[in-house]
Amino acid sequence: MTTPDLDVLGALTRDYAAFQSRKSGLATALGGLMAILLALAALSPDLMGARVTGRLLVEYLVWMPFLWLALKWGVGRVLYRGLGPVKPSPDAAYERRRWFWIQGLALFLLAFLLAGLYAFASGLMQVNPSRAALCPPPLWMLLMPFLYLLPAPWVLRGIEEARAYVVLVGQCMLWLVPFFLLSFWPPRSASLPADWGRFGDLSGIGMVGLILLILVWGALAMIRGWREHHQYLAILRALPRES
Amino acid sequence: MKEGETTPKAILDLDRMVHEPARLAILTVLASAEEVAFLFLQRVTGLSKGNLSSHTQKLEAVGYLATLKAFQRRIPVTSFRITDDGRAALRLYHQQLRALLPKEGTP
Repeated sequence: MTTPDLDVLGALTRDYAAFQSRKSGLATALGGLMAILLALAALSPDLMGARVTGRLLVEYLVWMPFLWLALKWGVGRVLYRGLGPVKPSPDAAYERRRWFWIQGLALFLLAFLLAGLYAFASGLMQVNPSRAALCPPPLWMLLMPFLYLLPAPWVLRGIEEARAYVVLVGQCMLWLVPFFLLSFWPPRSASLPADWGRFGDLSGIGMVGLILLILVWGALAMIRGWREHHQYLAILRALPRES
Repeated sequence: MKEGETTPKAILDLDRMVHEPARLAILTVLASAEEVAFLFLQRVTGLSKGNLSSHTQKLEAVGYLATLKAFQRRIPVTSFRITDDGRAALRLYHQQLRALLPKEGTP
């Protein structure tokens, strides 16, 4: 056995261990795709204005991140069962970055929750009495951001996954925040009612920013997930054939 | 004796427990991760089950690796971890071998 062979063995083991610790790959790509499709649906006037105003559909949509977590688990079991667990050597720099992302996710969600509660408590819903039937949202919806946070430390093992989860949760916030703040503005209305004033402008800009962020991050998650999946296949191909 | 010239003693000083190719491969893999499952170790080294078991037992006997047994969904999973002694032995072996090998360009 020559030195390059030993180098290859070491590199293969490190790459396989890194992937095994996350088992994301296609799941990350799927998260990005789901987020993009839903964001595009939200941008469609027909969907946003006419059809997706029903409370039931919104309630289904907010479960999307959990659906992704379930799919991720399934993809890991079916596609990435591999050759048994291989724990990577501790990498302090990666751990720091990982916790930055997971804590970032927590702060991001809490910021939205506080904004929603603030607006809700300020009685902004009353500005739009024609939509009063949709208000107030049930308590479990107010608690939804906390529910999104709960699985994060246990389920999100890699930075890529944390990013995909942030994108997906951000996407659901697109539906939750209007539900909290505006109780959905009138169908096919291009702008917010004048009564919302500066708050309406700011929340509108915030929504556009969030949609752009979701589209960019979703695309990146798809590319990275797909690339990671191919890297995993390359690792398996590089392993010696079974004797 | 000139610098770089090998002595029979230097060659004989090599740790034979590490020098054997299969065991060298096992230790190299284990040194690249914290814990490695039997199945992966078997596949990556290309050894048969019996051969791998025999070599890991020898390495465990000299304290170069530790065997970990656990259950995952009621299925027994055997994993290995390199010990500090094993890591030190592998590092020393690399140093010794590097000193023994001829320099680049030397026939």
